[in-house]
Amino acid sequence: MTNKPRIKVPDQIRKGEIIQIKTLVAHDMENGLRRDQAGKVIPRKIINRFTCSFNGKPVFACDLEPALAANPYFVFSVRVDESGLFNFTWTDDDGT
Amino acid sequence: MIFARSWIVIGAAIPLLAASVLISIGLAPAATPERAAPLATDGPAAARPWIRYGGWPNRDTSKFNSLSTMVSPPPPKAPRTITTPLAGDPIAGQKLVADRTRGGSCIACHVMGPAGGADLPGNVGPDLSEIGTAGRDDEWLFNYIYDARVYNPATVMPPWGTHGLLSDSEIGDIVAFLKTLTRPAPFKSELDDPSRRPIPREQRDNLDPMINPAVWAVEERAPALWKSPGPGGAACVSCHAAPEQAFKTWAAAMPRWEPRLGKVLGVEEFVARHAKATTGHDWLMESEENIALSTYLRYLANGALINVDGESAPAKATYERGEALSTRKIGALNFSCADCHSGDKGAQKWIRGQWLGELRGQLDHFPTWRTSQQSIWDIRKRFQWCQVAIWADDLPPDASEYGDLELYLAAQNAGQKLSVPGIRH
Repeated sequence: MTNKPRIKVPDQIRKGEIIQIKTLVAHDMENGLRRDQAGKVIPRKIINRFTCSFNGKPVFACDLEPALAANPYFVFSVRVDESGLFNFTWTDDDGT
Repeated sequence: MIFARSWIVIGAAIPLLAASVLISIGLAPAATPERAAPLATDGPAAARPWIRYGGWPNRDTSKFNSLSTMVSPPPPKAPRTITTPLAGDPIAGQKLVADRTRGGSCIACHVMGPAGGADLPGNVGPDLSEIGTAGRDDEWLFNYIYDARVYNPATVMPPWGTHGLLSDSEIGDIVAFLKTLTRPAPFKSELDDPSRRPIPREQRDNLDPMINPAVWAVEERAPALWKSPGPGGAACVSCHAAPEQAFKTWAAAMPRWEPRLGKVLGVEEFVARHAKATTGHDWLMESEENIALSTYLRYLANGALINVDGESAPAKATYERGEALSTRKIGALNFSCADCHSGDKGAQKWIRGQWLGELRGQLDHFPTWRTSQQSIWDIRKRFQWCQVAIWADDLPPDASEYGDLELYLAAQNAGQKLSVPGIRH
């Protein structure tokens, strides 16, 4: 993984505001159905789960399937009542 | 697992008031002669033998002109005489006009009514929907398809017969089909009518990393390469500590004539030869490293106006060579750059569903991300693809012909603002 994930969140907001979070991660999302030039199946390697938590509480999570295109991009909304820390995780098939 | 964190602070936004006074005193260095950047001048700057990219068509087009060789068969001196009516099959002809196995098909350039059976006809050539009522005889129609140059030396139509793309009997079938076309074309939708089809405009923000993955090369890959030491221990950063300042306009004046090489040097070839001479890195043209750094160097000059030297004597000669190359007919389809991209020929028209732009506007966004290819293309790769697409042999990316052409193209784009990396389909 050479590219760090990219996240867009507003810097400062009002209490109780609903904000939009955008995330983008560089990943091939190899679906396991394609063949290389020698005709061998390229093994599946995708991000299969994405999670986002705020101050330890889950706010958004989803499972990803092989049909997703490369470089998954998520946009979701969160209501924020306190200052705090968002944690984002992307889990790959091989755990990397 | 990939982790990321992001802090968020609740509170009223506080407007920041800042006043700053900048005083700068410029002392012009007393007539410092400009030091020529070191270049590795021996050997090629790209892989040899040059092998066409994987996945690109591999047809043999060696018997036709390229930008480096002139071998195409000459045009016929006179039309072929046809005395008896051609007994072609209009049904077979109807299939042939939409057949894309030998070039882009007739529909690519001509509207032929619903009978052509293909969507998105082009309008580089005239609308042929009523050619059957135009009073043209078999001989004229046959020869126009066989090699239109016998009637119109300035035509952009491929010489289908002379170049062996269609046989005599196939041309006879097409003639029979053309004679059945007698009514104006009804279009199913605005999209199908090339005179009403909306012109594509690129509106994505090409400098937003959430939109354009080529920006990642500029923000992450290139700065890492900048610091990466070569075999001798030196890195780009050893001499260029503040590239953002040093290269604010540099790339806007590229390509330029390089006397040490006797040819025009573009950013990509410069990166390959300069990195080799100073750091020992082998960053050949079209390598991932070269593309990242070339994109970065042009990105640093974003906002600068393209301003290449076309005035000095060797640059002028180069410009003239580039101009001549841009009108050279190449490949089995016998197109020149100008045939598709000059305003008095195919530019601002449709070829199939693709809009042909003029030369001006074709350089300010290169290297560019191509969403259809999921990769960054520099201008040399774009040149190579133009040739393969018109069934001509491409050249290695460091070919001097491409240098001439790039300088000519840059001169056509003088005054345009760089905005790199671009994003295109």
